[in-house]
Amino acid sequence: MLSAILASGLAIGAVYALIGVTYNVMFSASRVMSFTAGQLGMLGGVLGSAFILRMGVPILPGLVLTLATCAAIGVATEIVAVRPVLNSLEQHLYVLSTLAFALMIQQLVAIFWSTEPQPFPRLIGIGSGGPEDEKFWLPLVACAAVVGCLEFLYRRTLVGRAFLAIAEDNFAARALGLPERDLRMASYAIAGAIGGVAGFASGEMLLAFFANGGILNFYGFVPVALGGLGNNRGAIVGGLALGVFQQAANFLVGGVFAGVAVFAVFIVVLLAAPQGLFGAAPARRV
Amino acid sequence: MNTTRRTLVLGASTLLAAPAIIRSARADAEPIRFGWLTTMTGPLSAPGIGFDRGVRWAAEQINANGGVQGRKIEVITRDTQGDPTKAVNAVQELINRVKVHSVFGPTNSGEALATTPILARAKIPTLTAGVVDSLIDPAKFPNAFRVAASNTQWDDAVRNYTLKIVKGKKIAITADATGYGTSAVNASLASFKKEGAEIVFDGVIDATQADVTPDMLRMKNSGADVLVSWTVSAGMAARQMNARAAMNWDVPIVGHPALGTGDIARLLDKPANWEKVYMIGYRSSSYDASGKLPPRAQALVDKIKGKVQLDDTLLWWILSGVDGVNLIADAVKETKGDSSSEAIIGYLNGLKGYPGVFGTYRFSPEQHNGFPPEEVVMQQASKRRDGAFDLAPGYT
Repeated sequence: MLSAILASGLAIGAVYALIGVTYNVMFSASRVMSFTAGQLGMLGGVLGSAFILRMGVPILPGLVLTLATCAAIGVATEIVAVRPVLNSLEQHLYVLSTLAFALMIQQLVAIFWSTEPQPFPRLIGIGSGGPEDEKFWLPLVACAAVVGCLEFLYRRTLVGRAFLAIAEDNFAARALGLPERDLRMASYAIAGAIGGVAGFASGEMLLAFFANGGILNFYGFVPVALGGLGNNRGAIVGGLALGVFQQAANFLVGGVFAGVAVFAVFIVVLLAAPQGLFGAAPARRV
Repeated sequence: MNTTRRTLVLGASTLLAAPAIIRSARADAEPIRFGWLTTMTGPLSAPGIGFDRGVRWAAEQINANGGVQGRKIEVITRDTQGDPTKAVNAVQELINRVKVHSVFGPTNSGEALATTPILARAKIPTLTAGVVDSLIDPAKFPNAFRVAASNTQWDDAVRNYTLKIVKGKKIAITADATGYGTSAVNASLASFKKEGAEIVFDGVIDATQADVTPDMLRMKNSGADVLVSWTVSAGMAARQMNARAAMNWDVPIVGHPALGTGDIARLLDKPANWEKVYMIGYRSSSYDASGKLPPRAQALVDKIKGKVQLDDTLLWWILSGVDGVNLIADAVKETKGDSSSEAIIGYLNGLKGYPGVFGTYRFSPEQHNGFPPEEVVMQQASKRRDGAFDLAPGYT
């Protein structure tokens, strides 16, 4: 029983964590909370199913096509919903523009795909629905792979350091001659691909369903707030903890009460540590 | 020419009678306008498309055979798109501009709740296939007649099958966390408690929840030996069936007709996960042990097979559509061509056992739920051919 709850909790937690990382990557490059993060997760599942099951593309090329399309949609987010409002960040217009773009994506998927959940292909074929089933550990593997790749990118490559420079102080970075706009677009492409990975790896569990976008937007934001905005490690720990806690609440109290329990804990944590469990307290200029 | 008193009286009588004669002649020639409201597009369109096939086929048959006393049936279809506002607008148009003689639909209960009072004010004979109990009230809506099962009949069928045939002792009742799901769980809970059954679990689950294993574990730990499901979500139903198999929990699932929708088959880990799942259905669309439908339904299927598509819809939707048109056509025929509201409503109120293809309807001025409760049965969700299902085990 415990293994079943842990397996599904960690799996769904890994998906929340990856969506949290998607939020963070977009935020670091632009100081914008883009509410398309969850839709990118949804698209990972829908596009994976469309390429592999409907169009008959083999699994690996299907994965590449899915990630490339999600990366392109990430770039489109930057061009359509983020860039036009960057000059007025203090008015928070990005909330409206990114939400509108996210809703547009969701409605288009509903129209051209389906409003009912559609099947996602078995990727490897390990397990028969129990805790050892691939649908539970694939999201964890994907999460670990993304963390590894991001660590390598940010710490071992020159381009990665440029991303960090932009995230730290984009005025100073521009003054040093870094191509801020190109780096921001690249960040959105990476974020799109990470969202796509989250949806693809969890497709067997979440299915290819247009309504997943809203849920992932919502629950993917919780680890960001819990872990501290822009803090990927915090998002990973927060996401995994959220998933396990949510599934435990489903077992202990169930149904709508589980949602209440999750948000009660979320509010308590934010009251105790407003900057998030892993975020640093904001420095005060004196 | 001499004008006598006799010719004067004759001439005056002819003049007085002329408008009535002209009106009568026009009424004899005009078609019987059958307003047909259903959802033909959008996410709720599957039933509407099925009903529509039956409606069109029945009208075509009647018209091909000379109509009703020489009058054609004219089906005036309005696509409500699952939207109560569009349904209300369509009803207003059918009443005021098209001047229909009767209305069938909307087939979706949510829309019918909005249109029923309007049709009642206009006294238009209305047939409804919605299941919500409050759609039928002969005092408030003397024009409205239900030609399908009600929610109460569904509850009764599930409870009777669970307690008397499956012989469940500890019942778990669940649904998705929608308005319908929550009310269905409450109604089912009350229905089972009325019979003194032991309910060990009741609750709703978010239909988008990625994994329902924790909830299923709660049900299993509570000792449930039957799972009653009222979800209308194919995704949640499939997840419950997959979780049941992964837990090696050999418990029957009994409940809503959505347990048999085709989408479930594609979402199951393996086809065997659909075994021991029994859903609400109807005698007329249930195969007996010899693989035959009841005689009237079988005769119709034999007639329409190859002409009307059956494999992508549910047979009862088609059968109900056929009965809707035939009921109104027979009402006009039996009242000697009188298509007035009073005549049609009077005819329907007097039906003591109308032999339709979907059901045998009985109405009276006090009872407008015309579908016989004994014809609401449980079917095997996984055993489907041509839109009909095998009867669930335990029926004779």
